[in-house]
Amino acid sequence: MARTSRGANHVAAVEAVRDTVYRACLLLDDERWSDWLDLCDAEFYYKITAYSPEIRRDVLYLDGDREQVAQMCELLPKHNTDHSPLKRHAVVYTVDVGDDDGSAKAVTSFVIYQNMLDGVNSHIDAGANHLFAVGRYLDDFAIEDNAARFVSREVRLETRRLDKGTHWPL
Amino acid sequence: MARNAKQWNTPPDPNRIEWADSRIYSDTEIFEEELEKIWKKVWIPVCHESELPEPYDFRTVSIAREPVIVCRDADDRIRAFLNVCPHRANLIERRPSGSFKDGTPSGNPRNMTCMFHAWQFDMKGRCVHISRGEEGYQDRLSPKDVGLRRLRCEVAFGGMVWVTLDDHIEHSVREWVGSALDCILDPIEAEPLEIFHYHKAIIPSNYKLWHDTNSEFYHDFVHYHNRVTGFNDAYFARKNMTFDNGHVVVGSFEVRYDQYEGFESREALSFPTLPPNNWYMIDIFPGINYNLRGSALRVDLMTPLSADEVMIEFRGLGLKKDTEEERLTRIRHHNTIWGPMGRNLHEDLLSITGQGVTMRPGTEPRRILHGRHENETIHDEIGMRHYYDEWSRWMGRPLHNPTNRPAMAAE
Repeated sequence: MARTSRGANHVAAVEAVRDTVYRACLLLDDERWSDWLDLCDAEFYYKITAYSPEIRRDVLYLDGDREQVAQMCELLPKHNTDHSPLKRHAVVYTVDVGDDDGSAKAVTSFVIYQNMLDGVNSHIDAGANHLFAVGRYLDDFAIEDNAARFVSREVRLETRRLDKGTHWPL
Repeated sequence: MARNAKQWNTPPDPNRIEWADSRIYSDTEIFEEELEKIWKKVWIPVCHESELPEPYDFRTVSIAREPVIVCRDADDRIRAFLNVCPHRANLIERRPSGSFKDGTPSGNPRNMTCMFHAWQFDMKGRCVHISRGEEGYQDRLSPKDVGLRRLRCEVAFGGMVWVTLDDHIEHSVREWVGSALDCILDPIEAEPLEIFHYHKAIIPSNYKLWHDTNSEFYHDFVHYHNRVTGFNDAYFARKNMTFDNGHVVVGSFEVRYDQYEGFESREALSFPTLPPNNWYMIDIFPGINYNLRGSALRVDLMTPLSADEVMIEFRGLGLKKDTEEERLTRIRHHNTIWGPMGRNLHEDLLSITGQGVTMRPGTEPRRILHGRHENETIHDEIGMRHYYDEWSRWMGRPLHNPTNRPAMAAE
């Protein structure tokens, strides 16, 4: 898995992974859930986790396969939610491509800002930015034809204080 | 017809409809008095016993601004103390949880150590070491004079660790809760429970507004999930029952989880003896909530921070004997509704945030209606009325003029 002199396919795979991670950030920022899921494999599995030092356990906050995540997103308009959009700032730290150049793992560090619209009192808060969550994306990819598709994404949060927040995937 | 200032500020006739002056939610003097008269005088379930499973494990919390440490002794007994060093009042333990089995930079294994001057205490709260004690205090002070402040502590109702700051409290926990938790007592006490979920939220709103939300289900209209899985004759027939000491129980019915797209029945993993897909909710005065939905137990604890800020800790619990697969299913059931990205929790938090905006300290007093009567069923506001009867008794303040000052209305 180390980045050695493995040729053009390897370099292309790394670039494909980076491209997919950053495209996903933009699509999630724009709440284009369906387009985001188009970047995901049919076997895609998504979960939001954290380690809670309060109870000294890993905690699972949300999970689902592609169909379940799609279903959840489709129902979001029926739910009341905070209107403040979430915007990601992400940096792909590492990309490890499999020996056959057909799979990869990536670690991406992110912060998610809430661009306040509702805020607490929108008259005062709208337009301000609020740090919403900090963590890492731990992603697995399938690579084919120089394109990387998400096979799984673990949103590993450091944040465990989640105030009035969101129904949305992070 | 919209109303002018005089009409807006004219109180409703209390003989026709019950209401409360919103200063009970916004007045800072009332808030400080609540901490003294209520929060320092009642039993609070600060954590679950499974959060400190091994001898020498600890958990730190706070009640009414007082730092508290809960620890498990070698004899497996859980005890609670003020987390305050008797020397110079430093906080003894700073981490949220951990173990004293290992030593710390300033102290020995199996002791609590105040890092500041390395005074050490055992799990019974006894001072076992004063650094250079004889040199500094000669015979004027010895370890036996400076034990920790012990707090009354009981493990009850599904393994929650209840603590009170009041040494002279009249009731045991079971006497205090009375029969309010009888409806879920068998399910939550048939097997040892174990925590699987924790997160917290801090909301700019008064703590009682969260408790109000839990005490009435008229707010079903904010929840798409509740409307599609409930809202039938059995749902509206659920009783809202009142119990001594201000506690309230919302009775059960069979939730139709399969009516929400993608959700499934909880029947296969029902808590012991709980009928399939049933759902009980119990509000314990002044800010505790037990919520048992089929396969998962949720216990919320409020920690009031100021008149307009509250921290809510959300815990999810399953059976300790769960297989890995069973536990994962329980967690998923819990998360779909109550997780931080779940269907309902976010909507509840949004609601009380909005109330917090209109009832900031200094905003004009408003009349908050508690007056729905619906044969004491689920959309009846009897739970809120019962809570505030108890609140008035503890506070000695009437709901209609809680500050004994006239309502200053803009005219």
